[in-house]
Amino acid sequence: MQTQTKVKVEHLVKRFGDLLVLDDVSFEVKQGEFLCIVGPTGCGKTTFLNSLTGLYDITSGSILINGEKVDLKKHSVAYIFQEYSTMPWMTVEQNVRFGLSLKHVPAQRAAQQAEKYMDLVGLAPFRDYYPDQLSASMLQRVVIARAFATEPELLLMDEPYGQLDTELRYKLENELLNLWQQSGTTVIFITHNIEEAVYLGQRILVLSNKPTTIKKEIVNPLPLPRDIAAPAFIALRNEVTELIKWW
Amino acid sequence: MSRIPAKLQRWFRQNRQALLWVVISFSCLLAAWQIASMASGGRLQIPPPLEVFQAFFTAFVKPIGQNTILEHAAISLGRVLSGFAVATVVGVVLGIAMGVSDAVYAIANPIFEFVRPIPPIAWIPLSILWFGLGSANKVFIIFIGSFTYITINSYEGARNVDPQLIGAAQMLGASRLRIFTKIIFPSAVPYIFAGLQIALGVSWAADVAAEIIYSQSGVGWIITMGMNNGNYTQIMVGIIAIGVIGYLLSTVMRAVEGRLCRWNRQAK
Amino acid sequence: MEPASQVILQCEHLSRSFRRPDGSMYQVLGDVSFSVHENEFLVLFGPGQCGKTTLLKLLAGLDRPDGGTVKMNGQPVAAPAPSRGVVYQTTALFPWMTVMGNVSFGPLAQGLSKEESRRRAQYFIDLVGLHGFENHYPNQLSGGMQQRVGIARAYCSNPQVLLMDEPFGHLDAQTRYMMEEELVRIWQEEKRTVIFVTNNIEEALYLADRLILLTDCPAVIRREYPIRLARPRDYVDPEFLHLRQEISRQMDPAQ
Repeated sequence: MQTQTKVKVEHLVKRFGDLLVLDDVSFEVKQGEFLCIVGPTGCGKTTFLNSLTGLYDITSGSILINGEKVDLKKHSVAYIFQEYSTMPWMTVEQNVRFGLSLKHVPAQRAAQQAEKYMDLVGLAPFRDYYPDQLSASMLQRVVIARAFATEPELLLMDEPYGQLDTELRYKLENELLNLWQQSGTTVIFITHNIEEAVYLGQRILVLSNKPTTIKKEIVNPLPLPRDIAAPAFIALRNEVTELIKWW
Repeated sequence: MSRIPAKLQRWFRQNRQALLWVVISFSCLLAAWQIASMASGGRLQIPPPLEVFQAFFTAFVKPIGQNTILEHAAISLGRVLSGFAVATVVGVVLGIAMGVSDAVYAIANPIFEFVRPIPPIAWIPLSILWFGLGSANKVFIIFIGSFTYITINSYEGARNVDPQLIGAAQMLGASRLRIFTKIIFPSAVPYIFAGLQIALGVSWAADVAAEIIYSQSGVGWIITMGMNNGNYTQIMVGIIAIGVIGYLLSTVMRAVEGRLCRWNRQAK
Repeated sequence: MEPASQVILQCEHLSRSFRRPDGSMYQVLGDVSFSVHENEFLVLFGPGQCGKTTLLKLLAGLDRPDGGTVKMNGQPVAAPAPSRGVVYQTTALFPWMTVMGNVSFGPLAQGLSKEESRRRAQYFIDLVGLHGFENHYPNQLSGGMQQRVGIARAYCSNPQVLLMDEPFGHLDAQTRYMMEEELVRIWQEEKRTVIFVTNNIEEALYLADRLILLTDCPAVIRREYPIRLARPRDYVDPEFLHLRQEISRQMDPAQ
């Protein structure tokens, strides 16, 4: 089965004045792919992300979604960051539907979508709760459900689980993989955590230090769910670590 | 060609854009002023900018009344700084005492809340009766007008110390006095400075108001005399002097704060 | 590899509850007892947000338990004292003091002379790898470097016990690995009793001589594990990973 190219980044360059931050970055993401991007601390990850989302004007190169120049009015791109950006005055259900209302999804369809994704992450019993009544992991689920409910063409995640304890992180990551498989959404997941990148990604882009380039692209053939103690997993983790290790 | 220090040259290069906008902005003001002046006449007289600036710079050597403009400015500044200095000492001590001691707060706060909303100019008649017509009454007005801001901010500063920092100092064996001098006070300094910045502006306004109402010297007096003699140009000279001094005062204040609160600035 | 060393800190039946804004009580710590031996690296490991920091505050003397006692060298702990040094998650550095000012704060507060304090501070600044940064202010340093200052400051007041409250919790995964390696190096050079709180199992296993697994709200001791892996440890060593999975299975099902 021939899969389509969803996102195509070509010769992306970003400078701040004289400072070169992104140096000729090119890569592709296939429709429905889960791509992890991992790089050393201070590698210009944030600039990378902000250039992808169009928050910064890029100096040269191009970012295409479905072969067209990225346009946030036309393409639906969702982001999930570490901060739990829920609206405190809205209930769980209202929060999940908020993204849909921004996209002018008809009410009935919005209700269905919200229902489906609240169910998938186990939020349905908490639909009338307000964010300040929820634990950190529940808030993270609200944010994830909200993002997936809009069925974005591209979902960008920036280290969303950085502060959580290990066990909870894996639980939420399993849920994320499940959502991704059910929805067919294209995901770009950026992290500093090498184990996390190997656990999640179908493909891993390893970034270099500043000025950021792509050091290596690694295909991750391990089937889901992955075992962090399996020799093949460890071998892949070591490979990525070797490329990044500065400490 | 004159030699410009490298540091200044760099500053100019880095701020070229900003300087350009300042020049444009002032040009607009002057143009508007010139046009208004040409259109004015009869009861509404607006002297043209050139005449005003000429008078302004002439006043550096030729006295207005008994003093040159610099002497007037020095007299006004002297009053402001005296009143402001007393207000700073009283405000910081009272504010921090209110912040660290509930008893002081309970006693001082009601009086303070009563005095605070009274605008400083309401005190001018009483102040003249108490302190006479000289500088002392102005200093009192300035003090009354400015110490409230310093007190409130010092109080807020002393209240908002991160309790974890106090805990950390305790764990390291610090005495109560050391915690006060090394933790509570420095932590309050940025708040205090915010208060001082406002208070200085208020001091200047209070002094000018007091001088306009009754005085024999100072920049406020220049304006009053101009009004009494129907000398529009002199009034404008006084206003420009007030603006320039006010600007210089707040600039100096910011520089002092930048120096003392180096730790509070963002990295690099 | 565990000599029968002396018990330095002992807690018995510690419990602590707090009042919610609506007036009801909730218990964060329920009946916790354990002892800590001299120069031991003890890790208090548990999921969730509940109880661990409270427990550490009780050990420090920054908070009082509702029930139970903390004893250090047989004496009850009633107030903060420099014999116990704390390293905070948020660093709690004094932002208006330079690195030197922060690190020498303890000895100065304890009445040592200026020269002696600076000399001692210099030793610990060098030990944590911050030579050359003495005159920097905290906001001029990266997160990892700030935490090095925190460690040096705690060490410099010469405590018998170091209490560390998720000191690397705000750092990214890679900086965290580096700081864990650094902490072991520092601890091996300057042996102290360390009680280290974390919710990260990799970190816990990398550091601990002994690991106490706490439950979530109210925190009580679920199990204790002596960790006998040789140092320096390897995060991807099969034995390390095996232990990691075993302990993870013992944890509360996360909410």
